[in-house]
Amino acid sequence: MTESVVSVNKLQYRYRGQKGYALDGIDLDIASGEFLMLMGPSEAGKSTLAATINGLIPHFHVGKMAGDVIVMERNTRDFTVAKMAEIVGMVFQDFEAQLFSTNVELEVAFGPENFAVDREEIKRRIDENLNYVGLEASRNRPPSTLSGGQKQKLAIASVLALKPKVLVMDEPTTDLDPISKSGVFEITHRLCKREDLTLMMVEHETEEALYADRIALIKDGNLIKVGPTREILSDVETLESIGVMPLGIPKFFKSVGHKDLPLTIEEGLETFSDAGLEISEDKYQQIISDENADIAKNTEPLIKVENLTHVYKGDVHALNGVTMQINKGDMVAIIGQNGSGKTTLAKHFNGLLMPTEGDVEVNGLPTSEQGVFKLGQTVGYVFQNPDHQIFSEKVFDEVAFSPRLRGFSEEEVEICVAEALEAVGLTGQDQEDPFTLTKSGRQRVAVASILASNPDVLILDEPTTGLDYSEQRSMMNMVRKLNENGSTIIFITHHMWVVAEYAKRSFVMKDGNIILEGSTREIFAQNEVLLDAFLRPPHFVELSNQLGYTFLTPEEMLSCLKGAQD
Amino acid sequence: MDSEIYIDNNSFVHRLDPRVKITIFLLTFVAILLFQDPLWMLPITVLVVIQIIISQAYINLGRIRYVLIVLTISSMVLWNLFSTGETQLFWRLSVESMQFAIARTLLMVLMISAGMVLITSTRNEELVNGMIELGMPYRVGFAISTALRLVPTIASSAVTISQAQRSRGLDLDSGNLFERIKKFLPLLVPVFISTIRSTNIFGMALESKGFGAREKRTYYLVFHMEKADYVVLVFYIIFVAVSVYFALMGFGKIDGLIRF
Repeated sequence: MTESVVSVNKLQYRYRGQKGYALDGIDLDIASGEFLMLMGPSEAGKSTLAATINGLIPHFHVGKMAGDVIVMERNTRDFTVAKMAEIVGMVFQDFEAQLFSTNVELEVAFGPENFAVDREEIKRRIDENLNYVGLEASRNRPPSTLSGGQKQKLAIASVLALKPKVLVMDEPTTDLDPISKSGVFEITHRLCKREDLTLMMVEHETEEALYADRIALIKDGNLIKVGPTREILSDVETLESIGVMPLGIPKFFKSVGHKDLPLTIEEGLETFSDAGLEISEDKYQQIISDENADIAKNTEPLIKVENLTHVYKGDVHALNGVTMQINKGDMVAIIGQNGSGKTTLAKHFNGLLMPTEGDVEVNGLPTSEQGVFKLGQTVGYVFQNPDHQIFSEKVFDEVAFSPRLRGFSEEEVEICVAEALEAVGLTGQDQEDPFTLTKSGRQRVAVASILASNPDVLILDEPTTGLDYSEQRSMMNMVRKLNENGSTIIFITHHMWVVAEYAKRSFVMKDGNIILEGSTREIFAQNEVLLDAFLRPPHFVELSNQLGYTFLTPEEMLSCLKGAQD
Repeated sequence: MDSEIYIDNNSFVHRLDPRVKITIFLLTFVAILLFQDPLWMLPITVLVVIQIIISQAYINLGRIRYVLIVLTISSMVLWNLFSTGETQLFWRLSVESMQFAIARTLLMVLMISAGMVLITSTRNEELVNGMIELGMPYRVGFAISTALRLVPTIASSAVTISQAQRSRGLDLDSGNLFERIKKFLPLLVPVFISTIRSTNIFGMALESKGFGAREKRTYYLVFHMEKADYVVLVFYIIFVAVSVYFALMGFGKIDGLIRF
């Protein structure tokens, strides 16, 4: 187990046209059969490092590389990516773009075909690997009809069919919903038990890191810390300082002043009782009554949905009689799996979709009487992927697009743009090219471009997907500030901790119905119903549930401990 | 997803060997190009229509109906303008130029339809492997299949993008022609950029699965010629041979047609 399969020596890499090094002196050895998790903030060099393992760097990307990467005695400089494919498999984040066949079987066959494996053996590998990832029933379907999670599973199967010794996964679950995430992780849990396979995974989900043998933290192209999982996850300070989300459970116990930090729920429960900690009932009730008073303030209905059914062409029932209400000043989350109807519901709020049956009223008027153009002034909709809307050469023009279309005078436009850019924290960057900004910067431009026409309601479709922890925090802090300044916020997300910390009320959707609604605390208290919708509260919330209370953040629980200062 | 071109319905046309389908496709082109007179093009038209019905390619043709309508109108106008004949019909039009315009339009529509039948009824891989077995280099075949594969990807991102821009107040349905064309910029740029992004990943994934690692590769898909394949093939060869014979004999020309 000690011999190293991958060895990275003094690796430096600079992309063409960039001044700084994306990787700046990396030394890393990965042992045979090991599961290494690579974590770090955006632009830290995670994907770059992953791409060096199978030779995409230096062969596919153009840039300047120094140092060596040696995988099983093959120096990546001397082998093409295609030749490395025999020993290093690579799974990418974008599950659409990495599949190219029209049939599941053929997708798996593609790799072995390239290595002239004979037909009988290919057939055997197809059976074996589709079985391994649980797609044998879909073997004759076109991949485009699969769900995102199934596509990612297929991508894994198609890479495993090459029988690689090393499997590199670059954020395989970032774009997936919770149920698909857990499906993919379930496969990786089995893979990491395999002695013959070395696993390297880039991932943002800290809770998944618990399965890794070691974690490497990377920032600005440097390895900050590499060590056994327990050691790294207990180092809450370093994690937070480089912008990786720490686990709530060790974070809580660290703030209580513990040395040996528990990581899992079970360990947390044990430590809690061993340490003789107790929750003050009075303080807990105080939090709840404050919270309810806060929600009760908003009484003026803004969006009213009455028995809404939406059927897509053909007979796909996306919504089955949804009734809900959103009040002025609300900050609500809509959660559920892909295909549960979240986005379909939200698209009714700004008139992109019209009800098949039932009514949707915004400001007391049915949406069908208002239309997308008019509704757009009341209800702003920020789409998930900022790259689906950015087209201007300057941030200013991008943000000014909507106000200009709405006939604002150029002076008004300037004021609107300035205000919107200030709200998203991009003041002074109005002359920049939006395409050169980071993903989080582009996301902010997208939000600003909607804010510029001063809508009362802001709908954000997965505003935190693809951002790192600190970017997610600053994005959501910004959204919260908008809410405090009077905007009504509706956001759709798969990140449960974002819901826990930022939503006042939540709606849980499943199969086109709202199965649960209430204050976020009430929602997260109902573990079983959530599980039924294949959702899982963050570990920390689950721990508090098992203690008989529902705390949404470690800070909250800390403030409710008996003997704690107010 | 309904943006897929291939329609998975296992019709008679679908079940034919891809090599036969590609050959039929090429033979259809030959048959279409032989005659000037639309009446003489009728037999091949009937054959293509039969294929369209059996394979349900009309679903895909329906999707591109606007393109077909624009092509038909412009072709009818242009070929009437660029040719004339002895028999005056009305105004500047002659019977001959009208016949010729119909034939040219039919030619174009039939070619598109025959291509549509082929890609509606043949999986990407079958098409490529079929071409390769007929002698095309693997990389060329793969390039064609990649181009076909991009169509549904672009179509689905275009839908999302147009929704995103409409939410921002873009109104595509008003204004004159030039204003409308200008309005497509906010759609085209994101479509273009997201396509480039995804093809970049596509390229990486391709190499990471060993594309071109060996000189030789195996093919998991193998084809078997069935009885129906031979029947269809022989029928088509005879049909085209007879057509060529008539064309060589001088049938199917439009007498008195003057082309500029």
